[in-house]
Amino acid sequence: MHTQKNNDTVAIIVPVYNEDPSVVDAVIETLQKLPFTVVIVDDGSAIPVSVRPDEKTHILRHFINLGQGAALQTGFEFSKIINADYIITFDADGQHQVSDIEKLLLPLQSNEADVCLGSRFIGPQNKTISKGRTITIKTARLFNFIFTGKILSDAHNGLRAFNRTALETISLTENRMAHATEIILKIKKNRLRYKEIPVSVLYTNYSLKKGQSALNGLRIILDLFLNKLFE
Amino acid sequence: MNGIQILLITLSLVIGIYFFIRLRSSIADTIFLFLLIASAITLILFPNITTKAARWLHVGRGADLVFYISTMLFWFLILKLYARQRKLEQTLTQIIRHQSLQVTTEQKNKPAADEQQSGKNHT
Repeated sequence: MHTQKNNDTVAIIVPVYNEDPSVVDAVIETLQKLPFTVVIVDDGSAIPVSVRPDEKTHILRHFINLGQGAALQTGFEFSKIINADYIITFDADGQHQVSDIEKLLLPLQSNEADVCLGSRFIGPQNKTISKGRTITIKTARLFNFIFTGKILSDAHNGLRAFNRTALETISLTENRMAHATEIILKIKKNRLRYKEIPVSVLYTNYSLKKGQSALNGLRIILDLFLNKLFE
Repeated sequence: MNGIQILLITLSLVIGIYFFIRLRSSIADTIFLFLLIASAITLILFPNITTKAARWLHVGRGADLVFYISTMLFWFLILKLYARQRKLEQTLTQIIRHQSLQVTTEQKNKPAADEQQSGKNHT
């Protein structure tokens, strides 16, 4: 089962925006069973997240929608307040596996890396990924390389783990989906050690509908251009 | 003075007066605006100036030169506006983030404070 070294605090950040309440509830319920702190960031959903906060579950709410990048940064800020040693980001649409969290934490706890990035494309191949989606992700990978100079097997995987050093140095300014590339840019800029960890992703019709479209990719590229231009 | 000159000068003056009313506070802005409108009117009244400048730059007509410069200025302005919009968005994000953090931390501290309060009442 999940081990916790020296009573380290692990915070799992779950950004939520207009998700199906039954899906979110199921995801949160599974996460609450772990010996970790759950930080839900409701990014201005029309129907606010109904999970009841308790000692280990915290709910933050943006009163207007800002985007996933902004929601994650709010989660990061809160994790600093509660003095979390490790931070996991976990999508609310049910595509990630709870069993993968441990795999991402281990390299951080053994001080091999500062950031662990989940990847769908290393290790055993995932058969639920459609062809169209693979092309989108491959294009995203290419753009990641153009903007950051780093080739990562999976450019936009929501499952990531950060240690305290990474948490202190990474501050996201990209409110929308360009934050995925911004994280890699900040890793490079701050010379953080990173590792890609194979994770499995469960694509349901629901998570596919909520996922990134190719058209949305254009918006990400525009945001990245502006980021490069003005930062 | 022909028709188009009257039309353009009138429009320039209207724009100038409109911005003058809005930008009254800053002297630098007012001077810049005045120079801009004055040069616009001068060029409208004496189009030969732009033609000469165009020839000197190896552009066919004065109107073409004005068009090229306007296009560049237009793009510059769009980028400036985008930069300002991003800054505004970042400020908005900070405000909303601050508010959400404050509400949650206050709620977390409240039960503890309430308990302390009730504990005091008991003693």
